[in-house]
Amino acid sequence: MGKQEDRKIVTRREVLKLAGTATAFCTSFGFLHGSQTGQVVQDKHFAEYKHLQARWQQAEFKWYKGNELLSSAPFPAKVLKHLQSDETAVIELKLFRTGQMFKNLGTIEAKH
Amino acid sequence: MAGPHEIMGMARVLGIGTTEFLALYSDNGGTTLRSEEDGRCVFLTASGCRVHPRRPLVCRLYPLGRSNNERGEERFAVFPAQPDCEAVVGRDGTVESFLESQGVAPYLGWSRRYGELYRRMLGLLDGLDIQGKIDAPAADASAPEAGITETPAVEPSADRSPLSSWQDVDASLAEYCSAHGSAVPKEIDEAIALHLRAIEEWLDDLESRLTLPGDSEGDREP
Repeated sequence: MGKQEDRKIVTRREVLKLAGTATAFCTSFGFLHGSQTGQVVQDKHFAEYKHLQARWQQAEFKWYKGNELLSSAPFPAKVLKHLQSDETAVIELKLFRTGQMFKNLGTIEAKH
Repeated sequence: MAGPHEIMGMARVLGIGTTEFLALYSDNGGTTLRSEEDGRCVFLTASGCRVHPRRPLVCRLYPLGRSNNERGEERFAVFPAQPDCEAVVGRDGTVESFLESQGVAPYLGWSRRYGELYRRMLGLLDGLDIQGKIDAPAADASAPEAGITETPAVEPSADRSPLSSWQDVDASLAEYCSAHGSAVPKEIDEAIALHLRAIEEWLDDLESRLTLPGDSEGDREP
């Protein structure tokens, strides 16, 4: 009985080392945690997020006269952020003159 | 992020030991590389990376990112291009061909081996909570009583001290080899193989003290 109990002893120091090593490896290697369901959601979100980021990173508006490019401009940061945030994000593009909407140019959808 | 094998590789490029490397170039308990105030990696110079031949996996993978869940399943995704990065990024080719071109196979192999040990550690920690096999507080007078939260005195450079002595490959192998009367391997591959074995033996020992014949599910009282 006594021998069996001796074998069971794990010191606090050892437990701390075990926890410290697990924490260190978790951070060092980027292992993710969570329940199985949570993990799937987390992984799916990670992949979608990175994909959207890459898709819209270098988006530009371009103005043409026939085939001649007159001007171009990157998407404003706020617009870009919205399109990169979610696969269902939508931006409406409207043209205004003297404060009045002149033309609705349509929509830009993040998934496209 | 930098694992023990990556730390050892970079330390060798710089001609120093892993103990010195962790003290000089790591942060967050020895788990990440230090950054300059502007966010640049401590090894990035005007002429490029100082440790390029042994750069860590995360640098080799860029612009891919790798996620690794608790079951060891891997996924890859593309990071957005950084404005200052001179790398040529395209969408031609496959993840597999990119990984091959970057020589990541040994790094992924090591990462997977450490991952297996990590999952064993989690299993042991989970078991500890249920089985309550930690010795009494009296065995360690300096430890706080169970249930009492104690705020540790944090040294200014505490985040540069490794979270675990296993992160310091040179020191842990010196200790292991001294105890076994063997020579410390000189080559990185051999050293890492021994490092993995030493951790494995440590876990075997912990596991043997936590798993007794009467511990199996079938032997437990309902």
